[in-house]
Amino acid sequence: MSRSTPINNISPLRRLSIALFVVLVLGTGLAQDDIEREGYFEVRSASTEQQGGVHTLDARLQLVLSSEALAALESGVTLTIEIQLQVIRVKRFLIDAVDAELAVRYELEYRPLSQRYIVKNLNSGDQDTFATLYSALNSLGRVQGLPVIDDALLLPDRSYRLRLRAMLNTQQYPAPLRLLFFWRGQWQLQSEWFEWSLER
Amino acid sequence: MGVAGVTLALAALFLLTKTVQRSDDFDRLQDIILAINIAGGVILILILIGNLWRLLRDYRENVPGAKLKARMVGMFVGLAVLPLIVVFYFSIQFINRGIDSWFNVQVEEGLDNALMLSRAAIEFRKRQNLVATTQVAQKLLTVPDRQLVFELSMLRRESGASEMTLYGVNNRLLATSSDNAANSFPKPLTEEIALLMQQDRPFVSLEPLGDGRAEIRTAVAFTYRGNRAREQRTVQAHFPLDERLGNMIDSVENSYSEYQQLVFFREDLKDLLTLTLGFVLLLSLLAAIYGAFVLSRRLVAPIQDLVAGTRAVAMGNFDTRLPTPSRDEIGFLISSFNDMTQRLATARREATLSQALVEAERTNLEVILARLSTGVLALESDLRIRTANQASGSILGVNLENRTGESLRDVAKDNGLLEQFVDVALVHLDAGETEWREQIVLRGEVGRRVLSCACTTLPGDEDNAAGYVIVFDDITALLQAQRDAAWGEVARRLAHEIKNPLTPIQLSAERMRRKYLGTMDEEEAQVLDRATHTIVQQVEAMKEMVNAFSDYARAPDMDFSRFDLDKLAHEIVDLYRAQENDLEIILTSDPTMPLIEGDRGRVRQIFHNLIRNAVEALEGTPNGRIDVQIAVAEINEIEFVQIRVMDNGPGFETGTMSQVFDPYVTTKPKGTGLGLAIVKKLVEEHVGSIHAKNQSDGGAMISIRLPLNEEAREKMIARGPGRADKRREQA
Repeated sequence: MSRSTPINNISPLRRLSIALFVVLVLGTGLAQDDIEREGYFEVRSASTEQQGGVHTLDARLQLVLSSEALAALESGVTLTIEIQLQVIRVKRFLIDAVDAELAVRYELEYRPLSQRYIVKNLNSGDQDTFATLYSALNSLGRVQGLPVIDDALLLPDRSYRLRLRAMLNTQQYPAPLRLLFFWRGQWQLQSEWFEWSLER
Repeated sequence: MGVAGVTLALAALFLLTKTVQRSDDFDRLQDIILAINIAGGVILILILIGNLWRLLRDYRENVPGAKLKARMVGMFVGLAVLPLIVVFYFSIQFINRGIDSWFNVQVEEGLDNALMLSRAAIEFRKRQNLVATTQVAQKLLTVPDRQLVFELSMLRRESGASEMTLYGVNNRLLATSSDNAANSFPKPLTEEIALLMQQDRPFVSLEPLGDGRAEIRTAVAFTYRGNRAREQRTVQAHFPLDERLGNMIDSVENSYSEYQQLVFFREDLKDLLTLTLGFVLLLSLLAAIYGAFVLSRRLVAPIQDLVAGTRAVAMGNFDTRLPTPSRDEIGFLISSFNDMTQRLATARREATLSQALVEAERTNLEVILARLSTGVLALESDLRIRTANQASGSILGVNLENRTGESLRDVAKDNGLLEQFVDVALVHLDAGETEWREQIVLRGEVGRRVLSCACTTLPGDEDNAAGYVIVFDDITALLQAQRDAAWGEVARRLAHEIKNPLTPIQLSAERMRRKYLGTMDEEEAQVLDRATHTIVQQVEAMKEMVNAFSDYARAPDMDFSRFDLDKLAHEIVDLYRAQENDLEIILTSDPTMPLIEGDRGRVRQIFHNLIRNAVEALEGTPNGRIDVQIAVAEINEIEFVQIRVMDNGPGFETGTMSQVFDPYVTTKPKGTGLGLAIVKKLVEEHVGSIHAKNQSDGGAMISIRLPLNEEAREKMIARGPGRADKRREQA
């Protein structure tokens, strides 16, 4: 398992738009409280292991919700947390190619009646309930033995690297809300890419 | 560019409207939409800044139309901004109140109460199930392992659980029972349950299963006391809730959650709509301001064109044509302006043409005036010289052509002839005569000059004259010629009428003398002798006089030849030196002078007459002295022979100065009065000129100019106003 420098994936355009938004928000009195918790997603560690010709992923993620996301969750809003994985073929002289992509989506939901947090794997349909948010996020942040790719699908004499990130996905929300979330940093929860070489 | 900005902004809004309805499109296009929005906004802002800067610059530099444009922009912006802000304000109010109206305190309380009630109901069921599970655990305290499956199945059925599982140490599965035969692999204990079991705390929880299904999960730890050693065991049970209850739970939870979501997003929705409206307002404002600039520019542009056109016309550029922007009032105004400039241009062209014609006429007139031997003098009403031709200057002895604009009175102060002329003219002009004619006699140093003068008044406004035109001609030579002609006629008649009877008178007197002188006594004979002698002498004298008249009147053909004037002059002077011993006669001449072309006999007579005239004038004058000077000169490209004969006698009487060349004008006791008249006649036959004047130190001087040759003679004929009369006379 290896670690490398995370890559900043926030585009300059989005930074500019966020700056413009801040100006607009200040102008219209919609400024947010800066003392609220920002929240962050971070990939602490990640590694792959080949088992029976299939590369499986073990990873530890630190998922800290922002105040606004937390409040939304407590209000019954379902949060979707997505773990993205890319298998990248390293090219010597050309731009590297993404040979495979994997996205695992989890829904995190709070049920007011049972007062329990539900974590549901949208890919497999499995779900678990937790009494606390901490235990729910801790469960979400622990990835074990997730099959990534069959080694037979990879070119034998080429080297590959993988990268992993987690993000708060807002696609399931109504468009007006998504437009609003687009401008708000509290809803822009996304870890930086975590990269490592694939050991074969 | 501004249109591009507005188009971009509108396109961005359109895309935004379209894409927010489809999540995938929004994700894909959000960056593009943002870019377009920002680009459109930035372009509009840049354009507006540029327009505003230009407007301020034009305003400060007082560019025509800038102030009007600024006023119009301000007006349009005001017209656009105020309604937009009003609409924006009321829209925000409407949105806020509309969204707030979704929420109701009673509904919220109802939902809270429903949730609490549901929780209470569920808690009751949870406690029942936990008690049931605890009882199962109590019953399993001593059950041997081989009976566990059976016992567990029985206890499950008794408790009403759908699944019941018994775990041993380290969560080892010991036995399980389920009403679903297919479910042979129960889930392991979760970390949470395992932790609670380690702490010997029971677990009970409502577990939603989705699709309106739910169950209550319980877990209880107990210490097994069978035949083996004691160990910690956990029994976990799943108690299903019936479908109706599950649906009710789902309904309550969903309603509560949705309401809470609405509450949670209420302010966000307001913010979002406010933001969207604000963004649309901003773009609308920018577009409106830009539109105000464009509209103002379009409205002011024709006016600016008009101002520029008016300035161009003021500068004299009548070819200015403005583009007609439309068919409205401004278009009509510009069309009228174009018509006006076209007419002005036409009028100016015609004026220029007329001016050119006038100039041409004026030039022709000047040429004619310059060639005229008649003097023409045009005066303003205040007697300033408007124009004068060359002849006027020649006649009046002052160059009037260069004195244009000066008062005639001022110019006359320096010139005697002109002063006399002005005095006479003023008599008529001051009397208010509009047209007058008069023969004016001017007296100058070289003699008198007779002018035939006519004046007419140029018509002016009302009673004031615009000016005067005085036309005058020097008729001195003409009068002289007329006088000469008259004298010639007199001489001819005298010669003819008197000379014929003289011979018979003389012969008769001599015959009487011869016939009767011898027959008379001495005393009578003496009387007869004296009488006949007197008759004969007087007849001889009369004959001489008549011959002299005859010579004056006779005009034989000119016999031109080339001869040496110096030699001729020496011959004549030597002759007189021999005769007049008591006079000093000095001849100054150039032996190398070119031959003169003329009538040798006439020139000889000129010398004779001049020297004889001087000799006669010096009679009785002690130390008499005659200077004869001959020189060749070139004046105005004409070669002359200048002959001056000067004496130190009494000179001409001042009163007869102008008539010295008239016949029978003499101051000498013995003069016939024909000498200088004949000289003048001979000189004029050579197309020469003669002048007589008194010298400053006493004595008379006769000055003659004879053309050197035929070429000079022709030039003399062609030039000089004074020669025109001569030409007429010769014709």
